[in-house]
Amino acid sequence: MTFLIQALVAGLLLGGVYALVAVGLNIIFGVVKITNFAHGELVMIAMYFTWFLYTSWSVNPYVSLLIVTPIMFISGVLLQKFILEPMQDSSANMKIFVTLGLSVFLQNFALFLFGGQFRTVTVGWAEQSITVGGVSATYGRVIAFVVAILLVVALFWMMKRTMLGKALGAIAEDRDTARMLGIPVKRYYMVAMGLGAALTGIAGVLIIPFQAAYPLVGAHYTLMAFVVVVLGGLGNMTGALIGGLFLGVIETLTGTYIDPALQQVAVFAVFIVVLIVRPQGIFGGSARNAEVGLK
Amino acid sequence: MSNRNILGLGIAGLVALLLPLVVHDQYVLHIAVITFIYVGVTVAWNLMAIGGTLSLGHAAFFGVGAYTVAILYVNLGVNPWVGILAAMVMAAAASMVLAVPLLRLRGPFFTLSSLAFVEVLRLLAIWAVPLTNGSVGITTPPDQGFAFISFENRQPYYFIVLAMVIVVVAFSVWLYNSRIGYHLRAMKTDEEAIRALGVHTNGLKVGTLAVSAAITGAFGAFAALYLFVIEPETQFSMTLYSVQPALNGIIGGMGTIVGPIIGAVLMTPLGEWLRTSFSGVQGLNFMIYGVALIVIVRLMPGGLVDGWKKLRGWMRRGANSNKKDGE
Repeated sequence: MTFLIQALVAGLLLGGVYALVAVGLNIIFGVVKITNFAHGELVMIAMYFTWFLYTSWSVNPYVSLLIVTPIMFISGVLLQKFILEPMQDSSANMKIFVTLGLSVFLQNFALFLFGGQFRTVTVGWAEQSITVGGVSATYGRVIAFVVAILLVVALFWMMKRTMLGKALGAIAEDRDTARMLGIPVKRYYMVAMGLGAALTGIAGVLIIPFQAAYPLVGAHYTLMAFVVVVLGGLGNMTGALIGGLFLGVIETLTGTYIDPALQQVAVFAVFIVVLIVRPQGIFGGSARNAEVGLK
Repeated sequence: MSNRNILGLGIAGLVALLLPLVVHDQYVLHIAVITFIYVGVTVAWNLMAIGGTLSLGHAAFFGVGAYTVAILYVNLGVNPWVGILAAMVMAAAASMVLAVPLLRLRGPFFTLSSLAFVEVLRLLAIWAVPLTNGSVGITTPPDQGFAFISFENRQPYYFIVLAMVIVVVAFSVWLYNSRIGYHLRAMKTDEEAIRALGVHTNGLKVGTLAVSAAITGAFGAFAALYLFVIEPETQFSMTLYSVQPALNGIIGGMGTIVGPIIGAVLMTPLGEWLRTSFSGVQGLNFMIYGVALIVIVRLMPGGLVDGWKKLRGWMRRGANSNKKDGE
């Protein structure tokens, strides 16, 4: 029984990070209507960045949040302004190609700069375990989970309560009407992209104490984030949160009870089954789905 | 597809047939064999692109083909010629897993599912040690002669893969101009409209997927025999056999007949050259690929074929306006 609870807890902790990455993707998706195939690569960049700050100037990863997050935000804004904005009216396939090109470039840029080795950052205390009722987890993972959940909740609040959030929501709902109401859509696109990128930045920093950086690490997060978004329903923040946690649990349970090598296989199997049973995602889709290509 | 293009393809095929008479350099022939493998996979990838579907799952079919022929040959002693046919069947069967997302999802989400599918098969290939020998891989015996598609020299491989390419390109030309091809092209433009006309679009999509997968599986099987070593990271490599065929197709001109061939013929030797000349610098060749993709999409969304057409139209118009000025 403790064994099962242990696995469930580990899954939830992992799922929190997936949710964080997926929420960023969801904002980009919902507002900018770009399927960002390079989303995980942004996580990867943030990881390398944190590693670099740590090895060059021994900056503690949790301190480097203050440096990495704003820089990722700016990167997202620049990405939108110079690469994605000119593609705004192109077909969905063209948008895929551009972000795919970006992802191929970034992966190999990392390989070029840092080689294929695993780069790790060790924070002594973050690797120690906290044990409650026989169930244990490392501080690093607990912190990652707590921060991720707090951020997702804060985003929720922002989307519902602030002017920025309402404007983003309006653009997500109907871009043309939003524009007619005087919302500077292009500027908000940059903000949304920046926000999404900043979230990947935070995720990257939070996971580096327990997940090594290597050029292909982002590909895993891209896939997970997309599966979460499909499961949770496009543009649905609650869906992304629950979807992320759900995925983390599936991955860990498979690893514990079946075979660690089959974790991804299980995730994909669940994905296919959900598609068959509920193609609009667990938390229902909306008319918005049509624009980015979900039926 | 004009007659002139078909003539051009015929001439290109003839030149390719005669090439080994002039060129004896084994390295050049090796590049040619690799290029033909990519032409085959890119043309197969493009069959789906004609209908507007962007797949990044072709590494899965390539790998399934490679593993089928190798497992049958090494573990069960099945002749590789038979193995290639079995590879086609197995790849088509594997592609049916993707039929679900293909019918349920559109655009980006199908593309993503196809990407995930490659990952799943790669992990399964590492996991299923008794069948696949895990990450160590399977080695096929060398120098067994024509009956086993295994030679010391590159020439025989060259002719076998060229024959495969000719068949596949001919098939692609035929399909493009057939009734199915018209339906596919119409589906790319407006799926609802063509469904309203009574075309069974689901069957069309799944059928194209299966055929495209079978062809890719055949080239994967050939590549396995050519390379002698079959292992998960290479045969199910997303970069090598999913992204690169897609890149070739996009750069040449997605959904056209000649575009993917031009893309593969230009990009494969270029990639090999970049890889060998910068062999000390990991990743550089694919960095250039990534940038090339972004630039092409930004400047020539229709690929080289479309860019060339536009350029010619522009020059012709320029010439006409000059004439008018003269009059």
